[in-house]
Amino acid sequence: MVVHKKIEILTKEYNAFVKITEDVKHAVKESGICDGVAFVITAHTTTGIAVNEGLECLESDIQSMMERLVPEDGEYAHGRFLHSYGAMAGNPTGHLKAHLTGNHCVFPIIDGKVKSGSAQDIYLCEYDGPQNREIMVTIIGE
Amino acid sequence: MKYPVIDMHVHPAFYETVCESEKQERFARDMYGLYKTGIFPEEVVFRQMECAGIDKAVLLPLDLTTVYQGVLGTNEQVKRLVGMYPDRFIGFASVDPHREDAEEVLREAFGRHRLSGLKLHPAKQRFYPMDDCMERIYSICEEYHKPIIFHSGMSAAPGALSKYAEPKLFEELAYLHPKLKFCLAHFGWPWIQETCMLMLKYPNVYADTALLYFDNAPEFYAQSFTVDMGRHWIDRSLRHQIMFGSDDPRLEMIRMKKAIEKLDMRQSTIELILGGNALEFLGMEE
Repeated sequence: MVVHKKIEILTKEYNAFVKITEDVKHAVKESGICDGVAFVITAHTTTGIAVNEGLECLESDIQSMMERLVPEDGEYAHGRFLHSYGAMAGNPTGHLKAHLTGNHCVFPIIDGKVKSGSAQDIYLCEYDGPQNREIMVTIIGE
Repeated sequence: MKYPVIDMHVHPAFYETVCESEKQERFARDMYGLYKTGIFPEEVVFRQMECAGIDKAVLLPLDLTTVYQGVLGTNEQVKRLVGMYPDRFIGFASVDPHREDAEEVLREAFGRHRLSGLKLHPAKQRFYPMDDCMERIYSICEEYHKPIIFHSGMSAAPGALSKYAEPKLFEELAYLHPKLKFCLAHFGWPWIQETCMLMLKYPNVYADTALLYFDNAPEFYAQSFTVDMGRHWIDRSLRHQIMFGSDDPRLEMIRMKKAIEKLDMRQSTIELILGGNALEFLGMEE
């Protein structure tokens, strides 16, 4: 059986790490699937999905790392008018950070619950906020 | 910051309160040429304003009744938004100058709806600033002491021909109506030296900073304000006539505001651009 769930979040910051662990667990519980896997997938190209320890200090370090790797004042070819949007592409840093982060994570489901390590939290990584964001949770199993 | 930060150039056409159907959403997309923009709640705008450090946004609707048989936000909707969020929004009116009832619409917008100014888009509404039909519009604005924001220069919107919006076309208006304050949005790009010429000569002419057509905002401002213009022109001579505008949602409040903060000018000039000049333009200074 395959069950698709959706999580919607209005992010608050330009760049932010938003914990969605409990939302994902809730989606899995609602699916009724006992054994299988859950895919957590962002619908956007300037956000990422990541798994890490849910500590403020690590969030700060990861933020600093991203700023060093992809500085706001860098020179990017994506800084141009996009005819398909009718707007300027002002968000190259968002795309690059999303590329580094990746668009999904996967967890096993055992006995109807998400099986994760004790230190693991799931994050929606916002790199071009604030915006309305959509995360898909696809649960496969029986 | 000595003044509130005011974004003088925000389009509400995709706000939930304004864009009430898929048909209206398609119309807004087609008119602005914003092909991937969709309806969003006002709460998103408030989050973006908070992140950007913007206190108030000036909402600019657009009446396209005769040319395109539609409206990008009615004056009533703008009034409603201002009523719902008086701390966040300042509402401008719009009227299609070719409408037979243009005078009535404008008087209602200023008299009954108490809107704060008028937005006109010569390129999209297809008029020249000194067309015969315009004098009645300008007279009403003067009568109610309301400023005008004109689109000027290039527009990315489909069907918006720049021939209607060259800055020099507004000189006669500045000359004939010295008490009428008006803003040339987008700095009249690419004719920014013409805009500078008008501001230098006519103190009732203003410009906003909603210009970004190549590169990113800091790079484009550097090109426009220090290469295409003398690097001291704003800070020394035009500092009381430039107002911050983002052109949201085509451009983004956060990045446009940050680029203004990085301009190599006196801090007092930055503060005038971000809010002080808008207060004066709007007649809201204490």
